[in-house]
Amino acid sequence: MSDQGREEFLTEAQDIIEAFARNLLAIDAAHKKGTSEPELLNEAFRAMHTLKGLASLFGAGGLSSLSHRLEDLLDALRLGRQTLSADVLDVLFAAVEVCHQLLATEKEEEGVLDPLVEENVAKVLRSMELVLGGGVDKSAGDTGVDPAILGVLTEYEEHRLRANLDAGLRLYRVRVQFDLMTIDKELEALKDRARQLGEVITYLPTGEATSPDVLELDLIFASGEETTTIRRELARDNATVEEVPTAGSRKDSDQGSSLRRGAPPSSIAAIVNSVVPAPPMGVGAPRSLDPPAPGVDKATQVKDQRLARRAVRVHIHKLDRLMNVVGELAILKTSLHDTAEIVRSDLDRHLGGELHQLHRILERRLEDLQNGILEMRMVPLGQMFDRLARGVRQISRDLGKEVRLVVTGAETEIDKLIVEELGDPLLHMLRNAIDHGIENEEARLVAKKSPAGTIALNAYQKGSHVMIEVEDDGRGVDEEKLAKRAVERGAIDASAAGMLTQEELMGLMFLPGLSTRDDVSEVSGRGVGMDVVKTNIARLGGVIDVQSERGIGTKMTLTLPVTLAIFRALLVKVHDQEFAVPLSAISEVLNLEGRTRQVEGREVTTVRGATLPLCRLRQFFQLTNEPAENREFVIVARVGERRLGLVVDTIAGQQDIVIKSLGRSLETVRGFSGATELGSQRVGLVLDVGAVLDEMLSPGESLRKAALYA
Amino acid sequence: MPELTSERRGLRSVRMEDGEVAELLAFMCDGEPYAVGLGSVHEIVIPPPITPVPRSPRAVLGVCSVRGELATVVDLRATLGLGELQDTSRSRILLARLAHGELVGVRVDEVRQVVRLTASQIEYSSQTLGGDVSEGVRGIGRPNSKEVIVILDLVSILAKGCL
Repeated sequence: MSDQGREEFLTEAQDIIEAFARNLLAIDAAHKKGTSEPELLNEAFRAMHTLKGLASLFGAGGLSSLSHRLEDLLDALRLGRQTLSADVLDVLFAAVEVCHQLLATEKEEEGVLDPLVEENVAKVLRSMELVLGGGVDKSAGDTGVDPAILGVLTEYEEHRLRANLDAGLRLYRVRVQFDLMTIDKELEALKDRARQLGEVITYLPTGEATSPDVLELDLIFASGEETTTIRRELARDNATVEEVPTAGSRKDSDQGSSLRRGAPPSSIAAIVNSVVPAPPMGVGAPRSLDPPAPGVDKATQVKDQRLARRAVRVHIHKLDRLMNVVGELAILKTSLHDTAEIVRSDLDRHLGGELHQLHRILERRLEDLQNGILEMRMVPLGQMFDRLARGVRQISRDLGKEVRLVVTGAETEIDKLIVEELGDPLLHMLRNAIDHGIENEEARLVAKKSPAGTIALNAYQKGSHVMIEVEDDGRGVDEEKLAKRAVERGAIDASAAGMLTQEELMGLMFLPGLSTRDDVSEVSGRGVGMDVVKTNIARLGGVIDVQSERGIGTKMTLTLPVTLAIFRALLVKVHDQEFAVPLSAISEVLNLEGRTRQVEGREVTTVRGATLPLCRLRQFFQLTNEPAENREFVIVARVGERRLGLVVDTIAGQQDIVIKSLGRSLETVRGFSGATELGSQRVGLVLDVGAVLDEMLSPGESLRKAALYA
Repeated sequence: MPELTSERRGLRSVRMEDGEVAELLAFMCDGEPYAVGLGSVHEIVIPPPITPVPRSPRAVLGVCSVRGELATVVDLRATLGLGELQDTSRSRILLARLAHGELVGVRVDEVRQVVRLTASQIEYSSQTLGGDVSEGVRGIGRPNSKEVIVILDLVSILAKGCL
């Protein structure tokens, strides 16, 4: 199997599982409201059906058998033979996680199953068996069909098979070998031809292909036609058609029924006649779901697949390469501009003007190209939010707290690379909000709050930033205890603790030392791993701000760049070295007036009545000890709520820059997020404003030390 | 602009069988001849403008762009503990690609030629030199009775320079 085919399988399987999980959330929401959504269940069932087929096609055995069992369970649910309950949903949600784990295993080169994952699979299968304990009434007449065939059918397929046999049709097995290169088209063609004659019940790989490039499939097919007609109509070089003996087709139908499902459900066989659904810890009242709409399956599925086929999957590195080319073109464009200027002033006014005109057109087209590439990198946050919603559901059930998650702005788009790194920190923040923020029910009632906690997950774009807020209506952060803990840990002096501003107090929760202790949760603190969250966010060029009010709640705000690929930067010079400062981090540029003061060892100036701490880059980066000759400039950098004045020699202009990371050999150097080409082979370093701010503004010297040496 | 692109067939290995020929790129540094395995050299370039990186290790000259790709450049003189020297028209950067894909270069005073040495012409003794330097030294080459070339391992020199 080609690597690319496999890659496509993995991404498609991922998509299916994610869509399935979204569906589950909707089903869960409907269930909580006490309504039933038969179409959602149908959709979930179809997703598992597709996944099963895909997985077995690509030899992903674990995933294939799990999805097969899920398909069974969902089938029972949609046919109303199994009652939907919170426990069943638990099992389904757990299964989604296991599916992800199995898929992750498939993604690895060796594909060795982690024993832990294996155990999880077993657990889910066991709990599925328990909820499926209700069993399914299958004793309605013996079909006389070979159990080996029945064993691989889903209930729905078996239902169709029965319906066809009851109508007096015959059953055929068409065994065909397909070339893997053309299987898509040829299988569709064969199914189309077969549909003219009857109904295709299912198709399954036999696993007996003669060559690795070939896949052998058995098409189980019901038709009223004679064998010879079928043979003639479906004639293909390597297809064999045989009639499958059924109760109707042969006399000796007294063969004992041993209807077995694909997986090992001896217990199910034992309770075949039991129609009483017996969920082990059932809470939900048994409710019959609307009957399904048979026949909708395949048609809808085909439509979905067609839509999916319009989309192209591109590796993000390919987009990066394109972006690099655009960056180089932009540099060429600047050279063209310079040349045009020389031509106009020194050689030919008219020709120079024409060149300028061309330059402008090139500039616009280049902008279009750049925006197009950027757009391709952008994905809506929704998919990740869905994953977080599952996490919230799980965590709140684990902790026995009822939590309502309200999501807004799921359509907000952000760089794909950022999304991928964002899931874990956000889940961590949500876990903290549920664990430490939201009080238990009694405490909430005492505080005259609604018994269920609310967590808002909001996203929106603000200029060139995407803001993501996690806000809870819990008890808020206890700053006093936080400060006490910091003093106990030796992170700050007891005397300094009293001097800290509200903002600085909140900053304490990001100290690494405060994170690892178990008892930190008593501090109502969100200490657990918040330093890691902060580091991860900072790596994406983002910052995190905390606002909290005792008894009212806590709001954490992430400020993230929309894209990592390209941004507008201000070019500045310090002691003849050029630096690029992301424009998104700059609020204004000022002349540095003479008057600066020293406050607590920091140089500050006053801007419109507000104090602004200063950072002289020539000293900060130890470029020189000499003071600047001319009047200097202050770039007011703002990241989140913090401000810092960066003192530079000159402002050299603005430019769109494509940032390239410094190699691994320089990764320990702090203060730069990378470098960029500035034209004529010059390279400028890009200032990591967040890191400079952190270094300059950490709350107090002792705190800075604590952060460094903890 | 590239002057010479390595053919990647040179031997970077330390020891050779009798009769095997090692292809080495010989260059000068502080008046002394050195060489590295030709195969370890990705490309030789005339130094483009190099941007110093504040707070980087002492031997790191800075970063430069090689056809759009960022490369970290270390100074061989600083790595070997030799005196400083400004770029001359003969200065070159030997670029190597590290295992994780990073492009890293070392600045040398002057590139001379490719030399081919047989096993008998190479003395694999790092002990003779001792000290800090021996880490990056692969051996001593004697192409003829008069000349002595210090054979370096390009990758470990680069790794050392970036510390």
